[in-house]
Amino acid sequence: MRRRVRAVPLETLSGAFALVLTLGALAVIRWRLREFPTFEIRPLLPMTGVFLVVIVIGELFRVRQEASRHTAPLATAAALALAMTVACPNGTAVSYGAPLVVAVTAVAMVLGLIPSLVRRRPIRLTDLANSLVGITIAAVIFRELPISDGRTMLELQAGWPADLLALVMVLICAFALTVEVLLVAAVRAGRSQAPLLRTFQDEFTAAFGLTAALSTTGAIVALAERPLGVVAIPLFLFPLVLTQFAVRRQSAIRRTYGQMIRTLSRLTEFGGYTEPGHASRVAELSRAIGQQLGMSEREVLDLEYAALLHDIGQVSLTEPIPGGATVLAAPADQRQIAHDGAEIVRQTGVLDNVAVILEAQTTSYRQVRELGEDLPLASRIIKVCNAYDDMAGSRPIRARRDAAMERINLGLGYEYDPRVVDALVRVLERGKN
Amino acid sequence: MGGPPLAASAYIAAVLLMAACLAVLAWRTYPLTNNSPLADNDAVTLVVLGVLGVLGSTSKEDNVGGRIGFSFASIILLAAVALIGPLGAAAVGAVTYLMVFEKQRFEVRVFNLGMTAAAGAAGGFVYLMAGGSTEVSAMGGVSTLMLHVGLPLAAADVVICLLNAVILSGIVRLTRGTPMRRFILGMLETSGPAYIGYGLIGFLFVILWVPAGVGPASAVLILAPLFVARWAFVQYGDEQRARERTLSALVAAVETKDVYTRGHSERVASLCDLMAGSLVLSHQETEALRFAGILHDIGKLAIPTRVLRKADRLSGADLDRIATHVASGVEMVRDIEFLSDSTDAILHHHERMDGLGYPAGLRGEDTPLLARIIAVADAFDSLTTSRFHRDACTVAEAVAELRERAGTQFDPSIVAALERGLVRHPWEPTRLEPALMVTAGRAFDHDDPAASDLMAGLAGSEQAP
Repeated sequence: MRRRVRAVPLETLSGAFALVLTLGALAVIRWRLREFPTFEIRPLLPMTGVFLVVIVIGELFRVRQEASRHTAPLATAAALALAMTVACPNGTAVSYGAPLVVAVTAVAMVLGLIPSLVRRRPIRLTDLANSLVGITIAAVIFRELPISDGRTMLELQAGWPADLLALVMVLICAFALTVEVLLVAAVRAGRSQAPLLRTFQDEFTAAFGLTAALSTTGAIVALAERPLGVVAIPLFLFPLVLTQFAVRRQSAIRRTYGQMIRTLSRLTEFGGYTEPGHASRVAELSRAIGQQLGMSEREVLDLEYAALLHDIGQVSLTEPIPGGATVLAAPADQRQIAHDGAEIVRQTGVLDNVAVILEAQTTSYRQVRELGEDLPLASRIIKVCNAYDDMAGSRPIRARRDAAMERINLGLGYEYDPRVVDALVRVLERGKN
Repeated sequence: MGGPPLAASAYIAAVLLMAACLAVLAWRTYPLTNNSPLADNDAVTLVVLGVLGVLGSTSKEDNVGGRIGFSFASIILLAAVALIGPLGAAAVGAVTYLMVFEKQRFEVRVFNLGMTAAAGAAGGFVYLMAGGSTEVSAMGGVSTLMLHVGLPLAAADVVICLLNAVILSGIVRLTRGTPMRRFILGMLETSGPAYIGYGLIGFLFVILWVPAGVGPASAVLILAPLFVARWAFVQYGDEQRARERTLSALVAAVETKDVYTRGHSERVASLCDLMAGSLVLSHQETEALRFAGILHDIGKLAIPTRVLRKADRLSGADLDRIATHVASGVEMVRDIEFLSDSTDAILHHHERMDGLGYPAGLRGEDTPLLARIIAVADAFDSLTTSRFHRDACTVAEAVAELRERAGTQFDPSIVAALERGLVRHPWEPTRLEPALMVTAGRAFDHDDPAASDLMAGLAGSEQAP
């Protein structure tokens, strides 16, 4: 309960912050236009126009499947390039400040939202807000922050060699994107009740490649504008198009792999070995518990696959267990099924981690406590979830659920890991609300 | 395998000679003066590009699924064409393949070296002839850069791509007997689009290096997004292989309960692969076919074991029940997106040319191609596996049986493709231990061509009012 409350304001906060940023930027631009007639926006129009269009296009091609982490690479890189731009198409230096960058990016993001609004598709405002914060940070560091003698990097860079300038730009962009990843992680941790540090590590690792690609692309577009002008913007974004394409395919195949495991896990149901839906329910519960106990994304994935496949060993039985409920089978049989399942999964050659989890899924928690045996946390989670689902059934009424919890509590500390059971209770609580 | 055949060795020598001639020509045409290749500054450029080329070619194993994948070496080669001229490009090309880290046969290394050096030098000449400038630094403005760097570089790109395809087609013709024309067209189709990308990125590389003044550091900047892309592609390839292995291993595990079908899916999938080669299927079709081969009988899981084990006197209802396995199979895998191309093949793999098959009674070519292929593979494996009432047929007997049924049950062209495939890849019949068959008992084999007749007759009599 307590954590739920924390999650909501974080999302609202980032949204509100983004709105304030945008309005602030617009106000500053308006003020500058009035106070300093020399601040001429007209020569900047072609360039900002191209940037605006490119960012809108990038927003339209937002990668949907992956939840977070730089979902609109082209838009982000273009906005970073706008923040890093040092020269106009005709070769003259430009001196616009961070507010223009923020305003153009925000307007483009809103324009990019229109198709989703029209088709009534869900919008992820937090992603946009986090992204805008990242861009703002990059623009402020490069264009507003006084470095020496009250002069900004934009003013200082005229005397720098191009490769030094490139390095500085890449570093600023990478820093800004890392802050964005931190914000994304905070939002996600709030949602899934996972520890913040662990989530940040996951997000950072997962986003590392794209962060590098985006930082360098932002820098090269800005640098190439000096000889090529606005033509540089689409041209130098091309390598990133390849990157985005590759990343898309990669995340698509990850998704279909999960899909396949889920479907294959039902083969034992078709063969009459297990009760329909059991494996997927155990997987769902296990996933939630794994996240809550701070497992990394990779570990949670292995856990989920292991949970889906935990009964695959039953195909080696000559006669199916009634109802497929392994918790009611004799311990020796349970171990045999677990062992056979692990062997089958090992045959794939690519799911060794899952096989290790399956091998130990029936081992009592007592082995850890008394004999100091090293029992994977994932196996302990599956043991608890499997027992719960076998006893509570598909649509547990309150009485059955309580009875199941009671039986699990009987084996607490002996059969089942108390920490996992605690997490199960919390996850079930959350499900009720 | 021993050394290459004499003709191939001669061919490799000829390629090397051509590369050497081109290099000498480049040396003579562009002697060592200040503005020419291999002057002071160019030496640095040459070293940097050479190192990059070597690094870029280390993990060439990025050819994922035969369709995607790109070589950094090609981009570096193009950049060298514009930055250091024909001789430099030839040198970069040669160094790149001379130093490849992975283990390669000597002749392969030498051949690649010669081919790339020749392509680099030729590209360099074309670049200069098309009005390309090696004095990029003195230029500015979009139109000048496009005219004197972009367009000539595109021309060089085309020539390098063509030259690669032609030289490769020669060696493939000599070693594998593939017609040159077909190989060249195939290669242009598969890697042609990639060369457009190389050209563009090579251009960006040159622009960033000289006019934007970033110098050697531009390599890191321009290649970073590509490295990430390649990393993602490699992961993609890994996942793709993981997917296939997982699928076949888990399906095999579920099948183990039936002695007669054990390994059947795996064997049908390999037979499909074997035929795909002689049927000229696209990469996508080959993959869909393999998956369909693995999964074609998965629907049998939904049939009660007592029906499957009943050896004699199957009632019409039993046969109907067995016939449902194709639809159940599709039902089971419907949620897996990447199998959408395979489901038709799974559904129709018991159709017959004479229209008496099931489930739809499709006739002739109305049955999807992949389904017709699986039908042949399926029957062939059934015939060459021991059954309780007969020994496994020899390959010749099985082929004779299929040929007899070509036209009525099987597509003759696919039976012919199987025969061609079997010439290249010998097949061993699957003989089961008699003891194993005794424990397994008698079972109805729905894949046996005779069973197809039995069920065809049944379906026909039911359709008649």
